[in-house]
Amino acid sequence: MAGRRLSGRALRRAAVSLVVFVAIWELGARSGPLFGFKLPWLGDLPHPSAVVLIWARMATEAAYWYSWLASFWRVLGGFAAAMVLGIPLGLALAASRTFRGTVFPVFEVIRPIPPLAWVPAAIIVWPTQELAITFITFLGAFFTIVINVLGGVRSLDTRFVQAARSLGASNADVFRRIILPATVPSIVVGAAVGIGITWEVVVAAEMISGASKVGGKGAGLGHLIWASYLGGDYNQIVVGMVSIGIAGYLCSSAVRRLGTWLTSWQTTR
Amino acid sequence: MARAARWLRGPSPYLMLVGFALFLGAWYAAVEVWKLPRVQKLPGLTAVVQEWVSRNPTYGLSLFTAEYYDHIWVSVRRVGIAFLLATGLGVPLGLALGWSRDVREYVFPVFEVLRPVPILAWVPISLIVFKGAETPVVFLTFIAAFFVTTLNTMLGVQSIDRTYVRAAVCLGASRIQVLRDVVIPGALPFIFTGLQIAIGVAWFSLVAAEMVSGEYGLGYVINTSYAKIQYPTIVIGMITLGLIGYVTSAIVRLCGRLLMQWRERELATGGR
Repeated sequence: MAGRRLSGRALRRAAVSLVVFVAIWELGARSGPLFGFKLPWLGDLPHPSAVVLIWARMATEAAYWYSWLASFWRVLGGFAAAMVLGIPLGLALAASRTFRGTVFPVFEVIRPIPPLAWVPAAIIVWPTQELAITFITFLGAFFTIVINVLGGVRSLDTRFVQAARSLGASNADVFRRIILPATVPSIVVGAAVGIGITWEVVVAAEMISGASKVGGKGAGLGHLIWASYLGGDYNQIVVGMVSIGIAGYLCSSAVRRLGTWLTSWQTTR
Repeated sequence: MARAARWLRGPSPYLMLVGFALFLGAWYAAVEVWKLPRVQKLPGLTAVVQEWVSRNPTYGLSLFTAEYYDHIWVSVRRVGIAFLLATGLGVPLGLALGWSRDVREYVFPVFEVLRPVPILAWVPISLIVFKGAETPVVFLTFIAAFFVTTLNTMLGVQSIDRTYVRAAVCLGASRIQVLRDVVIPGALPFIFTGLQIAIGVAWFSLVAAEMVSGEYGLGYVINTSYAKIQYPTIVIGMITLGLIGYVTSAIVRLCGRLLMQWRERELATGGR
């Protein structure tokens, strides 16, 4: 939905709906003391107003921002590794039939295993917890990127390649002038999906592996949520959820913007 | 039969065998022959296979124990309930979001605010709100599938060429008829793409939810086997999850193909 201009009415309606949403949440969460009985489900939620107060206090503490930093680093590391390894693998799978015939079935068998099922194995193999979490994050994005790159190359109109060949293009020319530009849009799509998955995964990995604090300061936003739950500090849970939502959204829109810039010929046409 | 025979004559089955042989060989060699540093702590190929097919498994879980199938059944049931709920609620909501601008402008903002929050971040809240061990796990699985299904259905409705709707209305179709004969079939390809993704994320979040809070199920098996240092069982759990995840997505794909035979025909004839 990014980039589309919203009309004034749409903005007004969005504001109305969000205000109503928060109001129902606030009333529902306070229903116990207000009406004398708890509404089902809503009655157990933390109050939005209390969450905002807690958030304002936490925003002045360094530990909160170190949590952001820790999660950001893990996402960035896993995502970068997935791009660096996934794009060449996808291209190689598309380029060579023998390679694809050999590797792709194995890839397809491993792919359906959810990334989180790898958590124990990752903790066993990697020397530090940090590397284990980054590895799980990497797995989350890796498969999506490879599949998208492969699909992108294979959807390429073979007539382009044939035309270039008949005009005397070498393998390298075909790769650089035709295959690579034709795959960029799929790489961008894969990256946009992949960065979303990495945020999903990093939260889970931090919760399950019980991430240790980085330099004794902050252990990541997923850890913040889990620690708040264990400590019974329910308002902080919501702060953590909202923070991760914002962080994920920022990353996704950055990737999408970069992608639009990289594939500018698609939008101008 | 003819297709199978042609497949066997081509190179792909043999390449596939080579691929698996290389993969399994590398696993076996790295863990059990070369004993690479750190990697050798992983369960080896032979240890896993022995445990998996043993009638009397060391750690209590193999193809011949009833408990193994109990865990599978619990996980499958949770995914099944969550997936059906997500489809039953997500598809109508998506149709409404795509079909009516009023609904979209009022409801979609809330949806878009909630959507970037990762499913796993919902774990503690759902543990607080829903009592018991079963409901939170199903809720988490549901919510993951629900967002994907709804969003894809909405995009599917929006992808329909407006002229089809206008043509139908012009020929005297009522709103119900337009919905039934134009909007739903038109959105079906997107809906099934959504369901494909939804079943995948459902398994993803089920495993996470079970690892954190389950008392049964495959994610729980993996997590407790790690805690109890029963490493071969971890790998058995992983392989089982991969197999079942693959089978469930194949079932969804098959349903899609059966429901959209008109589309298969259209693709086969080049859209004419």
